[in-house]
Amino acid sequence: MMSHQQHMAPPSRGSVNGFPHRKLEKESSGRHDNKTNLVRSSSGGLSGAENGIILGHGSHSRDRLIYVLTQLIGHHVDVHVKNGSIISGIFHATNSDKDFGVVLKMAQVIKDGSPKGQRYAADIIKKPETMILPARELVQVFAKDVALGGDELPKGPGHDKRKDLLIDSAISRPHYLEERELERWAPDEGDSECIELEKYDRKGNRSWDQFETNAALFGVKSTFNEEIYTTKLERGPHMRELEKHASRIAREIEGEDTKDIHLAEERGLFLGDDLDHDEEIKYSAVRRDTDNSKYKSFTNVPSSTHHVGSFNRTVNIDPKDSLACSSTMGEESSSYTFDNTDSSAITQARNVSQPKFDDPSNKPFSVGENRLDKKLSKDNNENLDNRKLQPENNQLSAGVRPLISEGLDGPPSSSQPSSSGQGFKSPETPDSTISVKPSVMEPMTSSRRPGSSTSSTSERIAANSVASTPGLSPSSSIGSLTSEKSTLNPNAKEFKLNPNAKSFTPSVSLRPPNPPASDASYYYPNNMPAAPLGPGLPVGMTFPPAYGGQPVMYNPQPGTPPQGYMHPAGPQVRKLYL
Amino acid sequence: MEVGGEEFAIGVVISAKTTLGEEFEGQIVAFDRPSNLLVIHEGVGRAERGERRNVRVLKANYIREFSVVSKGDDPLDPAGCMLDLDAIYAREEAALRQAEIDAERIGVGVTPEAQSIFDALSKTLPVQWDKTDIVVMKEVRVRSPYMPENVSGGTAAANERVKKVIDFERKRLHARVPGLS
Repeated sequence: MMSHQQHMAPPSRGSVNGFPHRKLEKESSGRHDNKTNLVRSSSGGLSGAENGIILGHGSHSRDRLIYVLTQLIGHHVDVHVKNGSIISGIFHATNSDKDFGVVLKMAQVIKDGSPKGQRYAADIIKKPETMILPARELVQVFAKDVALGGDELPKGPGHDKRKDLLIDSAISRPHYLEERELERWAPDEGDSECIELEKYDRKGNRSWDQFETNAALFGVKSTFNEEIYTTKLERGPHMRELEKHASRIAREIEGEDTKDIHLAEERGLFLGDDLDHDEEIKYSAVRRDTDNSKYKSFTNVPSSTHHVGSFNRTVNIDPKDSLACSSTMGEESSSYTFDNTDSSAITQARNVSQPKFDDPSNKPFSVGENRLDKKLSKDNNENLDNRKLQPENNQLSAGVRPLISEGLDGPPSSSQPSSSGQGFKSPETPDSTISVKPSVMEPMTSSRRPGSSTSSTSERIAANSVASTPGLSPSSSIGSLTSEKSTLNPNAKEFKLNPNAKSFTPSVSLRPPNPPASDASYYYPNNMPAAPLGPGLPVGMTFPPAYGGQPVMYNPQPGTPPQGYMHPAGPQVRKLYL
Repeated sequence: MEVGGEEFAIGVVISAKTTLGEEFEGQIVAFDRPSNLLVIHEGVGRAERGERRNVRVLKANYIREFSVVSKGDDPLDPAGCMLDLDAIYAREEAALRQAEIDAERIGVGVTPEAQSIFDALSKTLPVQWDKTDIVVMKEVRVRSPYMPENVSGGTAAANERVKKVIDFERKRLHARVPGLS
């Protein structure tokens, strides 16, 4: 607030009722030179009394008086005056030049000594105001709790806390309205070296290197080694090619179509103005779309950790054929689930996947597949473990066999799945050797949603369960997990249209605008509420509210036959994918 | 430091009576002859850093009588008297701010009874003074003599609430201070 001022007079405080604001000012008076020196020395703030208190006669006592009076500033004081009245207020100033008249702010007469006042004092309360009490009236100034020994040492920048706890209501009170004329900041004289933070040269490079400067000024050497944090780049003769290759892939990825609104926005694709998409949906970091949340329930988390290795083994064989993998995964999961009795979740998955396939022309499915395809194609040279199956894949209807045959041949993505229709090639170990938990395998990462790492597990798991064919027999080749382009599982049971399959009608009530389930809720409990969800949904198929409306099709009947899992009420596990 | 021989010597503890009838006792911190101002602090001995004492600045001509209780050392440390102007001004600002807040709670030209009703209301409701009317939640107005029937304005719910509170507070005040009308 105030820098050390030698003359102890606060700036810009104006005058009070014409009474010049003279708080212990010395220089201005010019009359008592000895006092000036005195004031200087005694008003050195905390920087120590550099003293040479040069005193004139009798100024010692005056010093002390002035010291005490200055310490009183800001305190509540009671001033007794000649006629017996007592005025209470905040000590603001005293006329130290002359006879020490006193100026109080927010003062009120709390005891009126005048004969007239006696009558009314009890009844009338007046507004506090600034009062000047001339020295001739003054009898006594009484202040409580003054720290004459000096205040406690400040504890650094925050030391004002005891007095200056500004609560909002205090600040926002409309008082003291001093509107300031705002001036543009101009650097002080001494600051010739105004290093602008944003100084760029022609090429757009900053002409100032902070690391250089730091090293020069302080001898601080940067020990940053990029390779600690990222993959070491092989800068060799092939650098150029690799770069080109990488940027091509990047371009492909970035340019591709997407249904995801976030990605679309990022890429500048216009998805169509869905009025439901308010800001929250558009920009929130919370994923509320139904895509991935479904899959959470499918995960058989406990087992997921186990067979990763084995699974990956198979998969890695041909990373390029990610597409195949995905579909395989689905199959595998389905088949796997059959084997695995303990995985109720998987059962669910199975169930879930079924409905979709009842209707080969089910659009969502193909769409899903489509996305799946695209995603898979992306994961070229890596052993992706972050797989994200699109929700559509969920829509496997009961009784569907090789899902793959259906939609996988659908709209091609950037990388054509070389679908060998029926044949998953090589690395597949066509049988249940793949004990890998479906949830585990993720050779393909769908890099669609880059930020999805947290939910990747669930997605993976979901993906697994979904991926493809619900109706796979246990012996369906899990091996198809490999990166075959073909999305067909040769061992999968053929899809047969199930005329009894109920066609799914999206129902408004089923729309899941709910907050997504927590990531932790992978494991889908066995006790599903039986309340029917809406038209078209069989009893028993419900969306567990606890999961924020994940359209998880949980079938609470674990004992159903593996073949074309049909819910007794009809293969209604529709993915409520709205 | 000061001229010796004077009765008002620094460090002397005196007990005095003023012409206004006040009595006190304390140690002389300073005495300024030209202005005849005597500075006394209650308690004997030098105040530590941060230690607080009550301080009087008294015009010596109003001392009717006094007596020396004891003699002591200089209660001020000449080398240690430092004034932190920043802190002082900050303190003043804070005090003024707080005083403003407090002042707004006091009605001007209102009876003490009105003031106590205001105070009672302000415990649970946001209230302000508007001349001699109490304005609750910026919409409900209570006029003199601040009976439940003087409550007007605001939504029905707010109005009711204020009426009830006034009623209740009045009863409480009556119970406590039977004389209060």
